[in-house]
Formats: sequence, C-alpha cells, structure tokens
Amino acid sequence: MAVSPLISRSPSATASSSNAAMKLKKVATQSSLNGPEIAPSPLSMQNSDRELTEQLNDDVRHKYIKDKKLGEGTYAVVFLGHLRSEPSSFVAIKKIKVNAEYKDGLSMDAIREVKYLQELAHPNIIALHDVFSSKDKNLSLVLEYLPLGDLEMLIKDANIHYGVADIKAWMGMLTRGVWFCHENFVLHRDIKPNNLLIASDGEVKLADFGLARSFADPYLNMTHQVITRWYRPPELLYGARQYSGVVDVWSIGMVFAELILRVPFVAGSSDLDQISKICEAFGTPTEANWPGVTKLPNYLAPDNNHMVPLQGREFFLRQFPTVGAVGADLLMSMCALDPRKRSSACQILQHGWWLTEPKPTNKENLPRKSGGTKKMGDDLTRRGGEVDDTPFKNAARQLDFNAMR
Amino acid sequence: MAANYWASTQRRHWLFTRERLADIRESFKERDKAAHNQFPLPDQRLLNIYFSQQLIKLGKRTSTRQQALATAQVYIKRFYTKNEIRQTNPYLVVTTAFYLACKMEECPQHIRFVVAEARNFWPEFIAPDVSKLGECEFALISEMHSQLIVHHPYRTLSELQPELSLTSDEVALAWSVINDHYLTDLPLMYPPHVIAVMAIIVAVVFKPSQTSFHGSAAPLAGAMRDGGMNILSALTEKNGGGPPPRIQKLVGWLAESEVDIKAVIECTQELVSLYEIWEQYSEKHCKELLGRMIKGKNLDK
Repeated sequence: MAVSPLISRSPSATASSSNAAMKLKKVATQSSLNGPEIAPSPLSMQNSDRELTEQLNDDVRHKYIKDKKLGEGTYAVVFLGHLRSEPSSFVAIKKIKVNAEYKDGLSMDAIREVKYLQELAHPNIIALHDVFSSKDKNLSLVLEYLPLGDLEMLIKDANIHYGVADIKAWMGMLTRGVWFCHENFVLHRDIKPNNLLIASDGEVKLADFGLARSFADPYLNMTHQVITRWYRPPELLYGARQYSGVVDVWSIGMVFAELILRVPFVAGSSDLDQISKICEAFGTPTEANWPGVTKLPNYLAPDNNHMVPLQGREFFLRQFPTVGAVGADLLMSMCALDPRKRSSACQILQHGWWLTEPKPTNKENLPRKSGGTKKMGDDLTRRGGEVDDTPFKNAARQLDFNAMR
Repeated sequence: MAANYWASTQRRHWLFTRERLADIRESFKERDKAAHNQFPLPDQRLLNIYFSQQLIKLGKRTSTRQQALATAQVYIKRFYTKNEIRQTNPYLVVTTAFYLACKMEECPQHIRFVVAEARNFWPEFIAPDVSKLGECEFALISEMHSQLIVHHPYRTLSELQPELSLTSDEVALAWSVINDHYLTDLPLMYPPHVIAVMAIIVAVVFKPSQTSFHGSAAPLAGAMRDGGMNILSALTEKNGGGPPPRIQKLVGWLAESEVDIKAVIECTQELVSLYEIWEQYSEKHCKELLGRMIKGKNLDK
C-alpha cells in the first residue's frame, strides 16, 4: 500500500467517483419519475443530497470494523479495527476528538496530520489508508496497524539485547523516512523514539505528524516551540524562527545516541537546563564555532568560567565506542552545533558507516517485543511534543500552541 | 508547498476534464430544475470574481498572503463540484474556506476573529455562533476527502524567472495573470506548471503596455487578441524577420521543454474569455441574486 500509492489508491478513487456519478444519475431519474407537477420541496431535496454525500462516506466507514480500544489521550482515541471484507487485515483507527460544539474548529495538529499523511507514501512513514467522519462528527483516520510497539520500548527494556547491526538497521529506516519527508519539503519536527513505531515485519515507521509543516518560504518565520525537549536542537532552544531540515537531523542524532547508550543522551529538565547540558556535552557555542549564534533571539551568553571547547572526534569515539570510528564520525556530523555545518538527511544516507561491517540486520531478524499494541494506542493518542512517563514528568512544559495562532 | 505534485492527491483526484465538469454541473441542474429557474445565478466566472473579492476583503485586515487566498479559492471550487451552490450558504462556504486555507498555509487565524470579520461584512448571512463555522469546516474537509494540499503555479513562476531572465514587470504581470486564473475552472483542469507557463507567455508576448491594467481587464483582452495574431504570424513566418529575440528565446525554451503546448493554448483561451466576460461583472447584481437565493431558501439558518 505504502510503496505504490498510485496503483493501489487511484483505482478505488476513480471507482468511487464514477459510483457517485451513477448515484447522481439515479437520483436525477428518480426525481423526474415523481412527475414534474410535484416539485420536490427544497427540504427533501436537501435530504437526498445529504444522503448522497453521506453515502460515500458511509461506504468508506463500512469498509472497517472497530474491534477494541487501544488507548485514549486528550487529543484522540485509538481503536484496533479490521477490514470488513478481510478479518485478518488489521488497521488502527484514530478518532480525533473534535472539541465539543466546534468551539475552536479543528485543531492544527489534526489538520497537519491529515494534510501530510494524505500526500506522503513511503515504507518508513506510517500509511494513512482512509479518512472518514462518523455520526457524532468526529474525524477518523484509518492508519496502518503497527503491532510491535516503538523504539522507546525496546531501548528501555533491559531484557532485550541488541547490537550495532540492529542499530544500523533501525537508523537506516529512520533516516530514509526523514529523508523522504525533507525531499517532499516537509519538516517532521517531533522525532523521538516513541514516535518511531514498528510494523509486524520489523520495519520502523515514522508516525505523529501533528507538528509537521512544509518548509516556509524564505524569510517567513516559523515557531521555535517544536520538537520534544531532549531531541530539540540548540538553534530552536535559542529561539531561531528560520530553520531547515537539519532540526530533524539533530533529533535523529539524539535517537542514535540513545540507541547506543540506552538512556537519553542529553536530558534537560527545562529548556535552560537542556541548553547547558548540550553545551557541556558538545561544547559551548561561540561566534567562532557558530557564526551568528549570539544574534539569535533567546541566546544566553555563557559563563566565561565554564566554556567547554567544541568536542572533536575523540570525544565521540570515547563516548560511543561500540559504533566504531566511522559511526562516531557520522554521529558527530549529526550533532554539529551550527546548523549550517550539520549534515542533511541525504548526506547521512551517503555516509560511509552504512558500508562498514557489520551489515544492518534484516528487518525480520531484529529484536522484537510483544505487547506493542497497547503502546501503539498510547503513541497515537499523545499530542505532539508531549512527554510521558519520564522522570521529569512534572517539569515537562506543555507546548504553547496558542503562540502559533 | 509540500510534497510532490506528480504523486499528489491534487493530480490523482482533483483534475477534471472540461466535459466532466460540465456533466457534474448539468446533473446538479437536472436534479433541481425548480430551484435553478427560481433562483438564477450569474455565470460561474462572475460568481468567482465576486467570491474572490469577498475573500480579499476577509484577508485584508490580517494581510493574509495571496497563497492562502488562492488555496481558499480552490477549496471553494472543489466543494462546489460536490455540492450544488443553491443548497449552501455561499458566504459561509467562503468564510470557512478562508479559515481552513489560513490554517493550511501556516498563517492560522482564530475562529472567533474570522467569524467577527465575516459578520462585519455580511451580518445578515453569518451567524454569530462560531460552531456554524466549525461545522462547515468539518463538512468542507469531508467533501474534499481531507485532501488538503494545493499546489499553486506561483512557485513555478519564481523558479522560471532566472531561467527565462524575466524582468520584474513581467513577473508581476504573470503573477496577476495567475491570480486571475483562479476565477476560472483552470485550477481544476490543468497542472500548476502549465498555468505558470501560460502566465509567462501572456506576460512576455502580449505585454500590455499600460502598467495599470488591473481591474480593467478589457484592454488586456484586446491586447491578447492582437498579440495572439502577432505571435501567430511571427511563428508561422519562418523566413521573414522572425519574432523579436525575447520571444524567440521563450519559443525556443518551450520547444525544448516537455510542457503540454496544447494545454497551454487552452489555458490562454480560457483566460481571454474570462477577460471578455469580466466586462459584464456587476458586484451589485451578484450580491442581489445570492441574497435572494439565500433568503428564499432559508439557507442562512
């Protein structure tokens, strides 16, 4: 489905639209059968019209059967479902809660998610099969069913052992998904282990496009309040309003480090703490190593007694010995403080690390864990940028979505 | 402008042939002849002019970007391929399309603000209750099968500017031609790059001498007719002096490109007829007919 949208999606669409035409004709002939002298009242006409459009929607809705609830969050409820015609084909149905009485219209998250998933089809991006509305006027997204949980679950589970070959496989899938987004001018802006879901065949899929947006036109501002803190790059912490795809690359780097260490690498308890942790780990940003950094809106002059020099290759090699010299070099290129020096997703894919031994594990042989169904429910109901069950739960700041309105 | 046009939902689901559009509209008419007789409406293009002027009014206070207005116009068009206008409150549809397009083009406005602004202009047709707009937004999204990304010709225009060394005047003119094409069915019929090429040709070849052509389309229509003859003669007469070098360059580029020339010609035709019908446009007339229809059918409830 995800691989060949053109083939699988369009026939059904053309079929349904010609269906619609048939129905239109049927209605048309029916109303003329009623006899011209009894002009249909506008109300009944409206009803038959309603029925028509609803009919199409119902056709889609009836394709699926809801089985059980997988999870519920502030923003959505996720159900396990399957195709009516084929009980073994599972889907996840994400029902977005429209706030009561349409007080504020549809939320930006819901809009973003639908908008981008409709257009992006790639093996490493969660597939959107259908969208339908239900009677109580909720929008439901029919998503690919990903039963094996997410990367966070594997990282945290001490009973699961994995090696460099496995990390390489996961990183490859993640980077290809992100590369595809960027290639299509979409920034994901919320990459983190619990947004990386795992399909039954082991494929990693990028999910949760609630914070995604397309690249802004040059000189147009974007919000810097995106990406969950631990994965947020220094330029966003300093309040940059114009940025590029490398914000996602920083997040990929953080996921890489976390996969190796099995704990988040720089886990700040506040935005300020996050900056100081990044400085301690990678070096203090200065005009010398990052021209223009002091001009950023939220830039804070560092304490002169605590200047950390920019870390070189040895540091990465010492911290992350398991991935070897080439792997350390790759990680370093993702963690450049100056966004202009950071690699793009495309450059990452061209890096020599992928060619060094060991080869990435085949996706079928990757370590896996059961009980991921519930996890998928939780992952899909979380709002973008939200952190859950972390040691800093209470300190986690909610993103201020009103600032973007 | 996210994603890839060639794989987009716009290309796969929202391109119609002229005949298909005519069929759809005919079937609406067939179904409800009475309403069509009772509430005649002006030519679709004149209505589009009216809608776009209302959108501009809405966007003015917030200085909304042209791209959002363009997206809103496409939404309105898509919506009315699924729904008969006589069963809707067009003012509510216009307002909702504006609201949704703003969110989509990353310049969101608060729903209360949009409703207040709309009530400012059409107090008798927009209810103060914001939930109406929310409900209509939902309907709009469902009708469009939540396929919301619209690809516009503006980007192609800016990409081709250096390649064809267009002057800033030409770009400005092509830009307003693109703005005008939203008043026709062209956005539902042709891919954005074809429209952009058409706009460039119009700007370079016909180059109406008066700079302030906007608003009074009639001279442009005339200029295009004359210019059309010129380029035709220029193209056919190969041995003569030949066309001026600028046009020659454009013709050369077109010949090498794989742009569908026939489609470009069709687009130009469509635009010429738009400018011709524009002369009949009367804001008052549109307003009256729409008002009569909405009141007559109680669509403003």
